Amino acid sequence: MKLYLYGIIDSSGQIKQSIYGLEGAGVYNIPFCDIGAAVSEICRPPQDITEDAVLEHESIVEKLMADFTVLPVRFQTVIEGRDNLLSMMRSYYKDFKDNMERLHNKFEFGIKVIWPADKIKENIIKALKKEKKLDLDSSSGKRFMKEKFEKYKIDKEFEAKADKFIIVMDIFFSKFAVEKENKKLKTENLLLDAVYLVEKDKERNFREAFEHVKSSRPDFKYLFSGPWPAYNFVVLSKKPGLFRDSEQADLLDKVIKDQILVGADSI
Amino acid sequence: MNNAVIKSKEITLLEILDRVLDKGVVISGDIVISVADVDLIYLGLKVLLSSVETIEKLRGSPFVGPMQEAR
Repeated sequence: MKLYLYGIIDSSGQIKQSIYGLEGAGVYNIPFCDIGAAVSEICRPPQDITEDAVLEHESIVEKLMADFTVLPVRFQTVIEGRDNLLSMMRSYYKDFKDNMERLHNKFEFGIKVIWPADKIKENIIKALKKEKKLDLDSSSGKRFMKEKFEKYKIDKEFEAKADKFIIVMDIFFSKFAVEKENKKLKTENLLLDAVYLVEKDKERNFREAFEHVKSSRPDFKYLFSGPWPAYNFVVLSKKPGLFRDSEQADLLDKVIKDQILVGADSI
Repeated sequence: MNNAVIKSKEITLLEILDRVLDKGVVISGDIVISVADVDLIYLGLKVLLSSVETIEKLRGSPFVGPMQEAR
């Protein structure tokens, strides 16, 4: 039996919603202690990465997100059999629990900000030209060095301007976020590519902060997405030493009991 | 497949791809049977392609599609 894994959830109980996964099979929970793995059974691993399959995966994770704290698992993760899955859960348990605690009741939002890089550079060049004195006697070697230096100055000023904008925007976004990941100037035009982790009850505030930033710089372009499961904020270290020896026996007893229960109820 | 959840959030496929293919819990080890070497290469290519597409889109003027938040 092959198990397609959609996400790790903060429940060892049944998934009450009827969710259908790949190959039309029902999505159900395989519990491990107080958490579980949302899976569906498949005959063979998917061969292709298709648009439909990706959308379906995401759609299932989002449905789970409605009822649980979900650690979304990367697309196309298939595990051979329940024993292997439980063994994986055992070795990642501590990590999963730590992440669930951190990500409980939180969403991820994506923000991309595009600025008119050409115009910004143009303005920088204009400003630098004003400062510059004409030097007609320069030799070609000197001119070459000067041009190099000017390019360096333009790039530096460009970066400084980017930093300045990002710092200001981030003040507004961070006010309602608990974690963030910002990438500056992935391309010249892409000023900011950021993800923010936001508590569910701060969603409105966060959206308002975004609208405020957007209206304060209408010459920039913005892209806002979310709420997402916290894809960008899952941090795994696969910490070894799951439990102390004394806890291990109790744990196994519990897992076996849960398995029997779910075995009886699962779809 | 029910696309309603996805559509209602007004997001683009690229945003989904960047997350689903590249982020989240990545289980390592022999017990994972689907993410074979060939798949990983393909996966890498897809992520790369999606990134390139993103960049190309962003280089152009306004965003297109339902996610548009551009002015």
